[in-house]
Parts: sequence; C-alpha cells; structure tokens
Amino acid sequence: MDGAKVTLGRMAGLYAGAAVLRLAVFTLIPGLPDLLTGRVEISTPVTSFKRLQEGLFLYNHNVSPYDGGVYHQAPLFLPLFSLLPSFASLPIFTYLLYIAVDLVSARALWRIADSGEAVSSALFTSPRREKRWSGLVIAAVFLFNPFTIATCIGRSTSVFTTCAILHAIAKAVSGAPLGAMVALSFASYLSMYPLFLLPPLVLLCYDRQRPERATNSPLKFAAVCASAVAGVVAVLFQLSYLVTGSWEFLPSTYGVQLTLSDLTPNVGLWWYFFIEMFDSFRSFFLAVFWLHLSSYVGGLTVRIRRQPLVVLTLLLGIFAIFKPYPSISDMSLFLAVVPLYRHVFPLMRYTFVSAAVVLYASCLGPAFYYLWIYAGSGNANFFYAITLVWGLGLSLLVCDLMFAVLRDEWEVERPEMAGKEIRQI
Amino acid sequence: MLKLSLTRAVAYIDRLPLFTRLAIVLAVGAEVLGVLPWWDVRAWGRLEPDEIGLATMYRTNTFPLIHTDVLHLIVNLLAVTPMLERFEAEHGTLTSVALFMGPLSTIPALIYVGIERFLLRANTAIMGASIWGFLLLGVEAIRHSRSTPYLVINGQQTIPTWAVPIALLLVVAVLMPGSSALGHLCGLGVGYAFGLGYIKFLAPPERVLRWIEGKLKLRTWLPYYVSVDQKVYGRPIMMPIIIHGAVASVLQLRRDPRMLKVPPYLSLLCILVGVAWLFLLPLDQYSRRTYISENALLPGQVHTYFGGSDQNVFRAYKHEVDELAGKSNTEVNDKLEPIIKGLGLKTARQNFTYHAAGHTYAGENLYAILQAPRGDATEAIVLVAAWENVKHEINRNGIPLALTLLRYFKRWSLWSKDIILLVTPDSIAGPQAWVDAYHDAHDPARVSSLPLKSGLLQGAIAIDYAQEGRFDSLHIVYDGVNGQLPNLDLINSIVNIAQGQMGIGVALQEMWHHDNGYPDRLRTMLRGMLKQGLGLASGPHSSFIPYHVDAVTLRPFGEGWQDEMAMGRVIEGSFRSLNNLLEHLHQSFFFYLLMQRERFVSIGTYLPSAMLVAANFTIMAIALWVKSGQPREAATPKSKTDTPAAPATAERDLFLPLGVVALIQSLSIIPLYLFNHAPESALTPLFALFTLLSTLLPITLSHLLPPTPSPQQQYHLIQSFSLLLLGMFLSTLATLNFSLAMITGLFAVPLSFLRPVASPAGKIVVGGVLLNLISPSAVLLAAAGYWGLDVTSVLREAAVGWQVCGTYSPVVVWCVWWPAWVAAGVVVLGERKGGKEKEA
Repeated sequence: MDGAKVTLGRMAGLYAGAAVLRLAVFTLIPGLPDLLTGRVEISTPVTSFKRLQEGLFLYNHNVSPYDGGVYHQAPLFLPLFSLLPSFASLPIFTYLLYIAVDLVSARALWRIADSGEAVSSALFTSPRREKRWSGLVIAAVFLFNPFTIATCIGRSTSVFTTCAILHAIAKAVSGAPLGAMVALSFASYLSMYPLFLLPPLVLLCYDRQRPERATNSPLKFAAVCASAVAGVVAVLFQLSYLVTGSWEFLPSTYGVQLTLSDLTPNVGLWWYFFIEMFDSFRSFFLAVFWLHLSSYVGGLTVRIRRQPLVVLTLLLGIFAIFKPYPSISDMSLFLAVVPLYRHVFPLMRYTFVSAAVVLYASCLGPAFYYLWIYAGSGNANFFYAITLVWGLGLSLLVCDLMFAVLRDEWEVERPEMAGKEIRQI
Repeated sequence: MLKLSLTRAVAYIDRLPLFTRLAIVLAVGAEVLGVLPWWDVRAWGRLEPDEIGLATMYRTNTFPLIHTDVLHLIVNLLAVTPMLERFEAEHGTLTSVALFMGPLSTIPALIYVGIERFLLRANTAIMGASIWGFLLLGVEAIRHSRSTPYLVINGQQTIPTWAVPIALLLVVAVLMPGSSALGHLCGLGVGYAFGLGYIKFLAPPERVLRWIEGKLKLRTWLPYYVSVDQKVYGRPIMMPIIIHGAVASVLQLRRDPRMLKVPPYLSLLCILVGVAWLFLLPLDQYSRRTYISENALLPGQVHTYFGGSDQNVFRAYKHEVDELAGKSNTEVNDKLEPIIKGLGLKTARQNFTYHAAGHTYAGENLYAILQAPRGDATEAIVLVAAWENVKHEINRNGIPLALTLLRYFKRWSLWSKDIILLVTPDSIAGPQAWVDAYHDAHDPARVSSLPLKSGLLQGAIAIDYAQEGRFDSLHIVYDGVNGQLPNLDLINSIVNIAQGQMGIGVALQEMWHHDNGYPDRLRTMLRGMLKQGLGLASGPHSSFIPYHVDAVTLRPFGEGWQDEMAMGRVIEGSFRSLNNLLEHLHQSFFFYLLMQRERFVSIGTYLPSAMLVAANFTIMAIALWVKSGQPREAATPKSKTDTPAAPATAERDLFLPLGVVALIQSLSIIPLYLFNHAPESALTPLFALFTLLSTLLPITLSHLLPPTPSPQQQYHLIQSFSLLLLGMFLSTLATLNFSLAMITGLFAVPLSFLRPVASPAGKIVVGGVLLNLISPSAVLLAAAGYWGLDVTSVLREAAVGWQVCGTYSPVVVWCVWWPAWVAAGVVVLGERKGGKEKEA
C-alpha cells in the first residue's frame, strides 16, 4: 500500500518534471521550437510540423490538403489539430498536446517495463533477470532523453506513432490482444511502417493471453488479429475519406513513403541514393530497398521466437536505420525500449563504441549540414557521410543487442559456457 | 607452425629447438662475417663445381649457411625455419645435426656438382639454405601424399600431392632472379628419396643416439634440446588453424594489459605530429602558390580611368568631410545624404541599438543604391565606408573616396550589378545591423528594417583610409566573424590588381614587412590563426562573411608615393572584376591559411593537425573506458593457463560519472551567461570571483562524490566521458573554425594526461598548482598580460562579439574547455576515498 503510494508519488514527480522541462523549453526559448522544426534531423517530409500547418491551412480553407504536394501526413491529423485553438494565436495548446503525448508514451513504456516481459517471456526466462531497471528509471530515460525532448520541441508528428506503438506493446504484454491490434492499426495508419511489427506483436499477444480467454490455435489467433488490424485500418481509411472527400490521401501519404518522391535530406540512407539514381533503375531499387526493410521481420521473428519483445525492439532499431524517412524520433523510440534489456547489457561488447559513434554523428551532422546549406563551403556528400556514420552507430547498437540477447539464450542451453569466451566458427 | 601475430611470433621463436637455432645463428653469423674486408666468406664457402676437390669438400657442407645478401638470407630463413623446426622436433636434435651437417647437404651438393661438371660443363656457384628448404619440402610432400594423395581444386582438377613442390620450384625459378633451379631440384630429389625411405639408412641408429645422449647427459645441460624420445610425429600444416590462431591471438592481444600502456604514447604522438605538421606548413613543399580559379573575374584586365578631374571632386568631398569631424552621427548623415542624393541615387537610413557589456552601441546607417544600367537588380556589390575604423580613427580619406568613386561609377554604363554604398557610424555594429537587416535576420526590437533593398550581395569591399597623405602599400584584412573567410579568389584578385596592375605592395595580417622566408610565413600564418580563433570582427567586412558574402577591408599604410587615386583605381578594378562574375564566388577555397600574399595552404593540408589533436582526446577516452572495465585484481599477475581467459569485464556503474559530467557541463552555462551579460564595471570583480570559485569547484565536487565500491573506476569513467565530449566537440569545431579548435585543443592537451594523484603532497602540487596554471582563467590572464591588455577589455570584446556579431568563441571556452578542465580537476583531486579503501 505504502509502496504503491511511493510509486505514485514518484510517477507524479517524474511526469511533472518532464512536463515542466518541456514547457520551460517551449516558453523560455521561444526561437527553439521553430529552429528544431526546421531541422532535417527532426522533421522529415512525412512528420514535419510546418507541413502539417500548411495542410491545416488548406484544410481550413476547404482546399484539399494534398494540393501543392507539401503535406504528406495522415488526414485524421487535420480535424485533430483543427479542434485545438489556432496555433498562431495560442500555441500553448499545441505544446500541451505534444507534452501529453510524450507522457502517455512514457506511461505505456512504464507498463511494459513493469510487466517484466523483457526478462521473462512465456517461453524463456533469462538467468540474469534479477538485474533490471524499474519502470520509473526506464520512463525517466525515455522522457529525459535529449532525442525525445528534441522531437517533442520540434513537434514532429512521429510522436503520435511512437505513442501508438508503445501502447500496442503495452496492451500486448498486459494480455489485451484487441487493444494491441487497435493501437497498432493507428500506428500503421499514421506511418505505415509499423505494419511490419504485426507478426512479432501477434506472437507477443499470443504468448501473453489471459489464461481464461486463451486459444490454443495460433493460426486462428493470428487470423483474428490480422483481420482486426485490417478492419480498424479500413475504418480509419473510411473516416479519412469522409474528412478529405477523396481517396487522394492514399497516394499522397503512403505513396510518398513507398516511392520516396520527396527527396528532402534526412538522417536515413535512402535520399542520397535516390538522388543519384537514374530514373530507369528507380523502381527496381525501390523494390530492393523495401524488400530489404521487410526481410528482417520474418527472420527475426522466427529466430527469436521465444522473446517476441526482443524482435519488436530490434525491428524498431532496424527501422530507425533503414526506413525511407527516418528521424531522430525513431532513434528515441528505439532507445526507449533498449533499457528494458538492462539484464543483458553486461553481454554487450560495443556499447561505448556505438554510443561514441552516435554522439559524434549527432554533433557532426548539424555542423556538416550547416557547411553544406548555409556556409556553402561543403556539399551534400558531407552530410551523407555523417548519416552513414549515424547508421553505422545505430546498427552497431542493434547488432550488439542482438548478440547479447542470443548469448543470454544460449547460456541457458549451455550453462557450463557462461562467462566464457566464445567464437563462431 | 606459422603464427601471424607478434606475441605468438615471440613465443614461437622462444620455442625453436637447438639445431634450428644453431643453423639460424650460423647463417646470420656468416652474413655478418661477410662484411669483413680481408676474408671473403662467400668465396670461401660457396659451392663452386670446379673448386670441389678433396681438400675443399667442406664447401658441400658450408654452402647452405652462406647467402648472397641480407634479403636472400631473410627469405630463406623464413622459408626454412618452420620446416627445419618440424624436422628437428620429429627426428631429434642429434639426428638433425648428423643429417644436415652430413649427407643431406653433401648428397645434393655432390649431385649438383656432378651434373654441372660432367653434363652441363658449366661452373655456376650456388649458396643458400633454400636447398634445405626444397629438400624438406620433398620430405613433407611425400609424407602428405600418404594421407592425401591428391589435392582437389574446384572439385574436379586433381594434382598429386607430391608434385606440389615441383610447382613451387617452377614458381621460384621464374620469380626469383638468380635462383638455381638445378640446385633446388637436387635438394628436392634427395628430399623425395629421404621421404620415400631410400636413404633412411643414413640416419644414425637410435640405439647409438640414445647411448650418446645418456653418456653426455645432453638433456640436462643443453637447452632447447630435442631428445630422441621426445620426438613428435606428424604435425601437418593446416591453414585454417593458422588463421584461427591469428584471430585468437588478436583477441588475446586485446586483453593484454600491455595494450593499455600504448594509448598515452599514441595520443602524445598524435599531439606531436599535429603540432609538427603545423610548423611544416609554411615550407614550399606543403604550401601552394595562389591562383585565380574563377575565370570570369579577369582581374587587372581592364583599363581603369579613375583619376584626372576626379582628384578635384575628391578634394571637395574631403573638405566637406573634414568639416564634419567631431559631429554626431545624425549630423554626419544629414550632411552626407544630400550629397549622395545630389548624385542622383536613392538613399535610406537605418537605426540600430545593441546592448553589450553595459554599453549601448547605437547609431544610424546611411546607404545608397546605384541601380545597374545593365542589370535587373538581382545582384549587388557593396562598397562600405565606416565613419570610424576599428581603432576609432575617423575615416578621413575613405568616406570622400567612396563618395568620389560612387560619383564616378554613376557615369559608367557598364555595371551589370547594383552598387550599394554603405556608410556606417562604426566598424562593427553598424555593418552587422545592416547585413542582418538586409537578409531579414535581424531582431526588429533592436535593429530597424531596411526601407530600400537591392538584389543578392555578391561581394563587399570596405575602405579603411584614415591615414593622411600618400601611402606605400595596401593591407588586406579578411578575417570574418567566427573565423569564416571570404573566397580566396577575392583576395587573389585584389592582390593581382594592386600588385600586378598598379604596382602597390600588399600586406596581410599586419605583417608590414614580409621577406617571404620561413619565419615571416610562419608568423603570418600564426597571426591569421589567432585572429580566426578569436572569431571577433576585424573590420566592417567581417559581418558580411557569415552571410556568404565575400568581403575584405582594404587599408593603405606606410609612407610612399601612392595617392588616393591609386587606391580608387584598385577599388575600381576590383569592382570591375566582381561585376564580371556570372555566379557567386565558389570556385576557390573558403578554408585556407594565408602565409604570404601569394602562398596558402588549403583545408585538406592543414585539417589533419587539428584532427590529430582532437583524436588524442578520443584515444584517451577509449583507453580509459577499457581500463575502467578491467577487474581490479587484474593487476596481479595470473598464472599462465592455456584455456582462454573468461571475458572478464567488470560491470561499470555509469550513473554517477554520467551525472557528474552532465552536472559540470550544465554548470558551464553560468560563466557563459554571466560574462556575456554583466556590465563592464562588474567584469573584473566577476572574473576574480569566478576564478576563485572555479578553483574550489573541483575540490568541492571531489569531496561531495558519494563513496562507491570502486572509486578508481568512477574516476576513469568521469575522465573518459569528459575527454570523449571534448574530442567530439573539438573535431566538430575543427570543420567550422579550424584555428579555434586547434588553439583550444592545445590548451586542453594536459587534461588527457592528468591522472589521480595518491600522495597529499602530489595533490597539492598537481591539483593545486599545475591544474590551476592550465585553467581557462589563468590562460586568459596570461594571454591578456602577454598582449598588454587588461582582462576587462578582453571580456568586453568577447561580450560585444557575442551580443552583436554572434561570435561563439566564448561558448567554446566556457562550455567545452572549462567543463573538461573541471572534470580533470575532480579526477586529480578525487583519489582520497580510493586511497582509504586500499589501506583498509
């Protein structure tokens, strides 16, 4: 009882602290939000707040928001933001909305952490499970991560996707498959790529079913889940159609992601490649890039069947590298779930290297972008080189986490090898 | 067995058996003896068919130990040693001696001599251990062919194993000049015979060997002796094992405690190379002659007509301007505006007010636009004449000259770009306000918007001509805010026009006399770096450069015979060149160090030195991280075991070090804010107070740190993180402002070598004295003292730069260097608890 009170107090303190910090940054440094909104590292064509405002303006003037080819985000954002008081006169409501979304995401993360799914899933219990962080620490790491704060201040709409994904996982681990599927549908509706998370999420739901309502047929379960997602997405599409009055939003939102028609630079690896590409090879390489992105889903789901949450985590990391329009918000989502694996951190080998690489990249990225765009003394290769380094740092982290998790699993099978050096032959 | 890593190699050499060693020593000894002038070892020992007689039979035994040169020796030893070692391990030392000092040398030698003498009737002398090599290869091949008779390549082609040495022989014969295929063949043949067992009888019987061994007790007193009974059979070479071994040994090497001793030397090396690199730059081999990249500029290709009656116009304007000396800014503008309007130009004024260091920098800019007769107002060139230069001298000749030039330019119809005349009340704030407002990047509360605008600014030239009378040479000031530089083509063009066309000398960086020797070049470069590092505005042109408008200030100096008209013609020529531009200056360099008006180094050449200095911090950060992960008992030598050591990485507790570094980093905002917002009168007391507090901060912090199970690790981690951040910031900075990164890096160099001090006395010396000598405050004081400035004026200039021009050097000092220094202080002073624990 008392413990619950303490937790509640801490939770309130953490949320209040995070909210006050964000609000202070919003109000005390008035130039910062717009500066961050303009940064390519934070705002991609499919998440930019500036573009959202453009779409909103068109929408409020009864013009199709997709006219002009600037707005590439989901149509349902428009009524949501129209309900808020105008951003130009009363920005505080927008700020509060973004802060609330971050806090809600942190709450979901807290639930995931408290469930202990990361250390002990239905089919696997880590021998190191004693060593883990509480939900408080993990939520704090997420809320005070500079990448999360920057995303929130930059008002990128990817925070909504982050929130939906975290809620999907939280629902899944608490044994509410339907809720998980609805949340995932929302995430997929907003950003499309979360659809790739469906297979591991279905497995996670299946593993964490409540005993009283459990089904024993995985196929049936998966079919029900998939149809739930399809149903919810269909409803959302129908709503979008009602809101915008045409199906134009499909090519303008998902089409842009699929065909990468907006080549604004970002931290990902696609834009430069497709700038350089001859048009005749474009469709082939689009297929290759998408195939590459999707190929991880099946492999990881099968290989790490016993820990579906690990698959979700790794996929989030992989998406942060290989998505068509990644931003640091994807990094912040990945870094939010990584601390769940505190117990395998001792097995990771390159944490320092990958952390240093990511830090270097996040320092040099803006500098090189400045040299390219403003000073005119650099060129696009500078920035692209840094995005490569960024991708390298992230992929080191993903690989290292994967290694650590697999090693943890392996040591259960081979207890005599615990702590010994191994080498793949 | 071949081993590929250093440690393994040493261990391998350590294990070589006796005869192999003996053979190596003899061969090397023979090579050494080869230098003797009075005894030709090679002629004495080689196998020369015609020389072989009964008395010279020794040659059949000596020739394998003698080589033609060192390379021959090395190649042969590398090839023969592993095989000889295996042979010896297999057959025993005594047998090897008996065989190789006897029949296995003699028989091939005799066969060779026989063939040479009687079949070929030639007399080719041979020497070298390769004959043993092929002999042993033959033995090996026969043995291998018993287990694997065929080598399968590509799954179909098969080669008999015994034939492999023949292939090798052919390869050697083709590739190695001067090798004797026949000699090798003889060796190989004997090897085959030995391998097949036909001449096994030559080996002394085991019984005899055992008897000798027993009698002489060879095993007890001969080191590395391989006894008859120790023989090992069949250790075939297998490549996978070798590679495997190499990987394993690299992994082992990673754990080797000796590896941790390397990084400090490595980072010291980085620093030394970085600094030495800098001093090499002025040499002819590293610097380059300047050249004009942009062909459109065509500097000095037009005839300049400024002069003649313009002289009288100039005198009249000068008279007007002289009248205005001592008048207020508004009065000056009130007087000048009608004059400019009288030329038929549109004029406008702009107010600005800046507050910095408790002072108010306010004024009114006056500017006029000459619309290009042939242009469409999309591009413009700016002529700046500040009423006062940076030294607060009135621009007595500059303003009239600018007016005269404008009047003169108005008469020409060839301008394709608008020409803007800008008259500012001072040299720093005025131009800054104007450029900011021109690009709509101003703060409307302090700087008013421009009522009149033209097109994109393509270049700007400022006249700073306060000197009365005639001048000798031209001083080009080119440093922009934050060390940004104008395109080198602009400077080159002006040098070309002034020097080549007008015959006016050009000086850079206040080097009034420059003999183009190494010391003067170095001085010019270092002065340039210092200016760049400070990042302050050095003239009216400085504010233009951050907006990617290439700009310089021209300042005549010296006593000579050049008059104002010559200066005017230089500006006319430069404007004509800029007028030619088809696109923005982009061809030439934006990052360079000038060391003479016609010599420069570009970024590719000089950047490595700053990067090396920055890399030293990163290297140390990595080393400290690795060190922090080593378990504490690692210091005690462990018994050598063959099983691979467990990956003994101690768990690192990251929260405290991260927290300490983050705390120090966030504290750094305080000095940054204080020094940039305090009024001038408070700066000195504030500086004193800050110096005191920042001296006390490391001591306080190290006392406040909560006790942890392993303080050593905590301090390693604190230093590691702080150095990582430092290295990261500096390498980023090096791409933006090379000089600032280099200077800060050099001042921060001691921080990567500071270590916790255990003894109290050492603590006082290192922590109390040395640490404070390298603190940012102390360096600031020392620098101010060296240039004869007081601290207040230094801090005021920094505050003005920060508030007006957006100079970020204070950020680097207070938010990059100072936190690293505090962290190093905490590390040096903080061993207290660790010491106690050790005693307990």
